[in-house]
Amino acid sequence: MTEHRLPYVLTAAGVVALLGALAMVFLYAPQDAVQGPVQRIFYLHVSAAIAGFACFAIVVVASATHLVRPGAASDRLAHAAAQVGLVMLTVNISMGIVWAKPIWGWDPSQTWDARFTTTVVLWLIYAGYLLVRKFASPGWQASRLAAVVGIFGFIDVPIVYFSVQWWRTLHPSLRAGNGQPALPFAMLLTFGVTVVATLILTAALVSIRYSIEQQAEEQEGRATNASLELAR
Amino acid sequence: MARKDLRSEWRGRELLPALATFVVLALLIANFAFDLNGASVPRLAPGILWLVLVFVGLVAFGRSFAGEKDRGSLEAMLLTPAPAGALFAGKAAAAGLVLLATEAVLLLGMALFFGAPLSAAIVAISVAASLGIAALGSLFAALAAQTRAKELLLPVLVLPLWLPFVVLGGRALQEAFAGQAVSPEPSLLLLDLGVLFWIAAVLAARFVLDD
Repeated sequence: MTEHRLPYVLTAAGVVALLGALAMVFLYAPQDAVQGPVQRIFYLHVSAAIAGFACFAIVVVASATHLVRPGAASDRLAHAAAQVGLVMLTVNISMGIVWAKPIWGWDPSQTWDARFTTTVVLWLIYAGYLLVRKFASPGWQASRLAAVVGIFGFIDVPIVYFSVQWWRTLHPSLRAGNGQPALPFAMLLTFGVTVVATLILTAALVSIRYSIEQQAEEQEGRATNASLELAR
Repeated sequence: MARKDLRSEWRGRELLPALATFVVLALLIANFAFDLNGASVPRLAPGILWLVLVFVGLVAFGRSFAGEKDRGSLEAMLLTPAPAGALFAGKAAAAGLVLLATEAVLLLGMALFFGAPLSAAIVAISVAASLGIAALGSLFAALAAQTRAKELLLPVLVLPLWLPFVVLGGRALQEAFAGQAVSPEPSLLLLDLGVLFWIAAVLAARFVLDD
């Protein structure tokens, strides 16, 4: 029974944590001296990216587990995590665009920023992952083909992460040149809380997706059994 | 395995002439689309090269596994005692050689039509990039061939993963076409990545080809 309650507990915790994080973002964190209120996008923008990466890491681990020791649970987890990761990445990208507009005077034709581009590529890779699941025949084939895509696709995550160092980019680094954090303590604390809140929310979403997949499979199994009964 | 594919390609003479024609046509289209002249060639030539190469690659790798799947000979091959990884390596090597042959046509065509320079560095960079492109292309072609979407899925899956090769190779070729001295690092990195992806793809082949 505890298994069924997990999504509810996580969702409640996620909502509370995220409300707290939002309060900190808007009420506690100091105003950025240069950028003004727009800078407050930063907290959720980066948290969503971290949550997305975490989801794709789950995809890799679950996929590898599934290939070595096939089982429905690892496959379901990989599928759920990929879907939620894609949502988080969408949040990250769209917030980034909103932020970039006033700060960089964003014009995609002129600023194909390295981190933006590689993130879009990551989005496309895991969109492809979901397409493989859609187009492969369900069952062992879909799960193992998707697992291979999920594992290979993760190559792009370190590329996104290091893109700020490898190419010239407009994305700031979280560390100043001397290795010290580039943010004052109040901002760092707000950031940390937002990251944790987003991760709890992500876990809630993954667990909900997981139970939906599980129920869909059970439903399908029941339908197949019913049609077998009829055939008899 | 590679020998069998190359022999059937040689006997059938299907793919290569078609790809060579495709390359020439693509170059003609590029000529009209970009209105090329002596001044713009060094700047645009690397971009054209990668575009054509990537699309030729999609066709070449797509064919290599789609044909086997249509004839049902993939299942027959998997019944032989040869490990799936070896079968895959053979097919990928053959498809890679077809890509290299197409590349030769492409580079010669660019030299002939656009007066683009043809140097050892340019050849080395494109060969180094083809290694990884062939490994990933074959793996995902094998994967896509088993799904209902077939050809539709291959570009969606493989183009994002080919991007690092295009980025690295594109930067290096830009220098080479501009007549600057080319540092060997990008080509070596391309080679490293290529070897890495070959190993990863051969390891993953077991799961992709398993039916």
